Amino acid sequence: MDLVLIQLLNGVQYGLLIFLAASGLTLVFGIMGVINLSHGSFYMLGAYGALTLTQFTGDIFLSLALGVPLAFLFGVIIEWLFIRHLYDRDHLQQVLLTFALILIFNEAQKLLWGSYPHSVPVPGYLQGGVKISALLTYPYYRIAVAAFCVAIALAMMFVIQKTRIGRIIRAGESNREMVEALGIDSRLLFRFVFAAGAALAATAGIVASPLESVYPGIGEPVLIISFVVVVIGGIGSIKGAFVGALLIGVADALGKVYFPAFSSSIVYALMAAVLIARPGGLFGRAA
Amino acid sequence: MSAPAILAENINTHYGRSHILRGVSFRVAPGETVSLLGRNGMGKTTLLRTLAGLVRPSSGSVRLNGTDVTSSRASARSRAGLAIVPEGRGIFPNLTVAENLTFASRPNNKGERPWPLERVYALFPRLSERKHHWGNELSGGEQQMLSIGRALMTSPSIILLDEATEGLAPKLRDEIWSTVKQIAQSGIAAIIVDKNLNDLLALADRNTIMAKGEIVFDGTSAALRADEALIHRHLGV
Amino acid sequence: MLARPRPIVIVILLALLAYAIALPFFGGTFALKFAARVMITGIFVISLDLLIGVTGLVSFGHALYFGLGAYSLYFISPVSAAANGFLAIPFAILLAGIVALIVGSVVVLTKGFYFIMVTLAFGQMGFSLFFDTKIAGGTDGAYINVRPVFSIGSQQLLNFSNRTAFFYFCLAALVLSYIFLLWLVRTPFGRVLQGIKHNEPRMSALGFNTYAYKLASYVIAGAMAGFAGMLFAAIDGYVAPELLGWRESGLAIMMVVLGGAGTLYGPVLGAILYSIVEETLKSSSELTAIFSLVMNGATAKWLGGIVANSWSMALGFFLIAAVLAAPKGIAGFIEKYAGEAKRARPREIAPSAEHRERAKAMQLEVENLSRAFGGLVAVNGVSVKFPPNKVHGIIGPNGAGKTTFINVLSGALKPTKGSIRLESEEIGGQKPHNVARRGLGRSYQRTNVLLPFTARENCALAAQAQFPSPFRFSNKWRRDEEDRAVEAALKAAGIAPERADMKASNLSHGEQRQLEIAMLIASGAKLLLLDEPLAGMGPEETGRVTALLRELSADHTIVLIEHDMDAIFAAADTLTVLVEGKLLAHGAPEEIRNNKAVREAYLGEWGREGKP
Repeated sequence: MDLVLIQLLNGVQYGLLIFLAASGLTLVFGIMGVINLSHGSFYMLGAYGALTLTQFTGDIFLSLALGVPLAFLFGVIIEWLFIRHLYDRDHLQQVLLTFALILIFNEAQKLLWGSYPHSVPVPGYLQGGVKISALLTYPYYRIAVAAFCVAIALAMMFVIQKTRIGRIIRAGESNREMVEALGIDSRLLFRFVFAAGAALAATAGIVASPLESVYPGIGEPVLIISFVVVVIGGIGSIKGAFVGALLIGVADALGKVYFPAFSSSIVYALMAAVLIARPGGLFGRAA
Repeated sequence: MSAPAILAENINTHYGRSHILRGVSFRVAPGETVSLLGRNGMGKTTLLRTLAGLVRPSSGSVRLNGTDVTSSRASARSRAGLAIVPEGRGIFPNLTVAENLTFASRPNNKGERPWPLERVYALFPRLSERKHHWGNELSGGEQQMLSIGRALMTSPSIILLDEATEGLAPKLRDEIWSTVKQIAQSGIAAIIVDKNLNDLLALADRNTIMAKGEIVFDGTSAALRADEALIHRHLGV
Repeated sequence: MLARPRPIVIVILLALLAYAIALPFFGGTFALKFAARVMITGIFVISLDLLIGVTGLVSFGHALYFGLGAYSLYFISPVSAAANGFLAIPFAILLAGIVALIVGSVVVLTKGFYFIMVTLAFGQMGFSLFFDTKIAGGTDGAYINVRPVFSIGSQQLLNFSNRTAFFYFCLAALVLSYIFLLWLVRTPFGRVLQGIKHNEPRMSALGFNTYAYKLASYVIAGAMAGFAGMLFAAIDGYVAPELLGWRESGLAIMMVVLGGAGTLYGPVLGAILYSIVEETLKSSSELTAIFSLVMNGATAKWLGGIVANSWSMALGFFLIAAVLAAPKGIAGFIEKYAGEAKRARPREIAPSAEHRERAKAMQLEVENLSRAFGGLVAVNGVSVKFPPNKVHGIIGPNGAGKTTFINVLSGALKPTKGSIRLESEEIGGQKPHNVARRGLGRSYQRTNVLLPFTARENCALAAQAQFPSPFRFSNKWRRDEEDRAVEAALKAAGIAPERADMKASNLSHGEQRQLEIAMLIASGAKLLLLDEPLAGMGPEETGRVTALLRELSADHTIVLIEHDMDAIFAAADTLTVLVEGKLLAHGAPEEIRNNKAVREAYLGEWGREGKP
């Protein structure tokens, strides 16, 4: 029973982390209409960036404060170099170009950090955990990550519902052309959205880095799971990404307890079930 | 004499292989109200979209209040004082009425806001009543008011109205016309596309007719009324 | 529509074939193995092109079937004996095909972006099934110790462990696969697939069950990929979960695009180019040789070493450059310089002796029909009867619900309530293709023909819709009948014979609208729903099409939405006025013209003055 509880907690925490990555993906597609396969690479760069930054700062949260703006800037550069050429091209070419970006990022990772797994330390003040039973504790750091992700989710909802940039983002989802016609330069909007998506993925990678080892290709499972979350939640819907990510997190965690060999398949089966019932995702407009 | 609000010269626009605008030249003086008439598919919407920068012409030039904006994006033209109320209204369904209105609220190049929110609400009291509703909860007439109000809040010097009263019941139509008249009187130049010939003739300082991508008539309402054959040929009334 | 390959393409392909046939005489073991791998990849990627380039389905999980095919060889091979090749091949095809049928039945429900992501997810599901469990060695992969052997009785015909024999087998398999697909896409079945790529709603409205077609295409492509995968496993005798993974799927898409999607031969060229580029980038000596052409030896060696060390990064940049510079791939270049493809000349058709009997037009009756979108009731309790052999006009201001009304009648939208009867049959709420099969054809507000196809090809597809089964692979059956229907439709719609073999995209706007009507006639529809057929037409065109509608009403029932008042008052037998989703009036044009409510609501000034 305790194991189930722990797995449930892990599932929620994992789901919240995936939400960060998936929300970036859903924004980029919802507003810019670009399929970004290299989204997982930003997660990977976040994790490796955390590794390097923490060697200097000594604290993962300081690395976070430094890393997120850097990731945003990196997103701006990548958008300017590559992504902006994709806006009037079809899905096939978007898939191709962003797939090629993965090859480049993976190789860059190997050159900079090598092929061996690394670990990032949990800060001293978050060592240990909450005692759940005589034998089991739940780590403070995981609780902190979950709380952080919830805070980011709330902040995103606030920004999207209450601020000017949020209004522009919502408007961009429904009618990009009208946004441009009303005086908002969509090139800048797209650059901002892409960079914000990159920063969100990197944020997830940074806070996740002390949870597991940092290894080559760490971003790829995150990319695939984010896709599943976006499909379940509905393209462009932050709310959908949130619900979808939690569903996936819990399904994955419980699957690991009850059907260990098929836990990842359960996630995909869940996606298939949602698609059959609602082809546009839980919160999406009908496809 | 100040520069024309809009001056388009020798515009050619293509969609793929089809040549939609064929050497159109078009001028609107500051504060002038010009109607743009013609059957469906003659290029009226394309002309408005080309002027607004939403469609790139293959040749020709566009000047806005004397400034060359031919290579400017739609957003730059909007900030330079051009506002478009498109066919289909272009309301953001997932923004409230108030959010739609304030979405692009900005002063003109003199730093003035001739149409602050209160004045727009005074012009369209129904929008004030429904300010917390979502854009997709409005009726067609309310959406059109919202679209016009949103355009006014960008403090434009010229406004392009495509299918200004399309799909509206006669009473609402009259309401829209009376507000358009107020807007015109406030000194904003306007290009209006609509199907109701008589309403437009009463409103416009000047009328133009498009056929097959060209301007085939440009003159006063009296001159147009007098030429029944022309009306019959190009407007089918 | 995909034409036969041009002479220049045939020359290139034959040259490559000749080179491949000669290769075993001068190439070493490595070259043979490399070439076999390229050819197997070629089969894999043309099967993907059937999905991407022909049917318009961008699958990001195609390696699932390739990998399953590879594993099938492991499953069927005894531990230390050869598998029977005559069983191994059907087994691979069957296994991949069955999985494709199951997965396809779900993924084909989705479109565009969703399709890409969902196929990716299913591919990963297959990958994790082999990766996370102990099936076939789990993460470590598994070895096939003895290659399959083909023998009849004691007579051994072919042994895959013989490099040369295996090489020729792969070559033959690639050539046959290419010819098979080339044949397939030109059958009635394949033509519909191409139609779906360009305009799925149109194909559905013509009466084709596009779901079934797409699923069939998905299964065929999956089965072919399974076959390729089985051959691939025979190269090294080793299989690993990575074969099913998303990287393999991504690389396959790369090759398709690099070569030119939708051409079938392009992806093969793409596979060749990709493999050569990859092999070159991996080899520092070859890179040094290339670089030393433009710089001194030491620098070239240094640079060659660096690039080879990070070859996949170099590959990434190469691919980005290729996408941006040549979005249509190698085939795009070839086609650009080879000029417009020659199209098959229309066949001479023997005039049919029996006169086509005039089929009976159909009656449409609508009762209390409503359709709501959320709170907005776009069509509100409309009851109206459209008797046969008449022209019925629907008028009303924009936003009155006219197009929604037509969409509900044609099955594109489900009614919220009410009934629709075609003759005496209830069709409300049925799928568009089922409604179309019952004899109701529709056109769209925006011209909705298949632009890359000729006028004749558009009509041929429509004529084919009279027998819309997806399992039609023969060109011959019913051909005369369909060709006659096409000729008759082109003639009836007034499309000049010399324009019939031009691409629809090169026709004038008016001709495209006429073509749309021609398609409906060719499809055998007895009730035509036309959404603004006169929009954007000049006076002569309007006159011609109005006369055409009158003529067509001899054996069709016509219901049309129109804004051109002069034309519709002149052409229609009855007029139906919709305002804000409700039926305001229905009757003969004269009655409508004199109806006070109609005049005020819709015709405005014009109505009040009462001008004709």
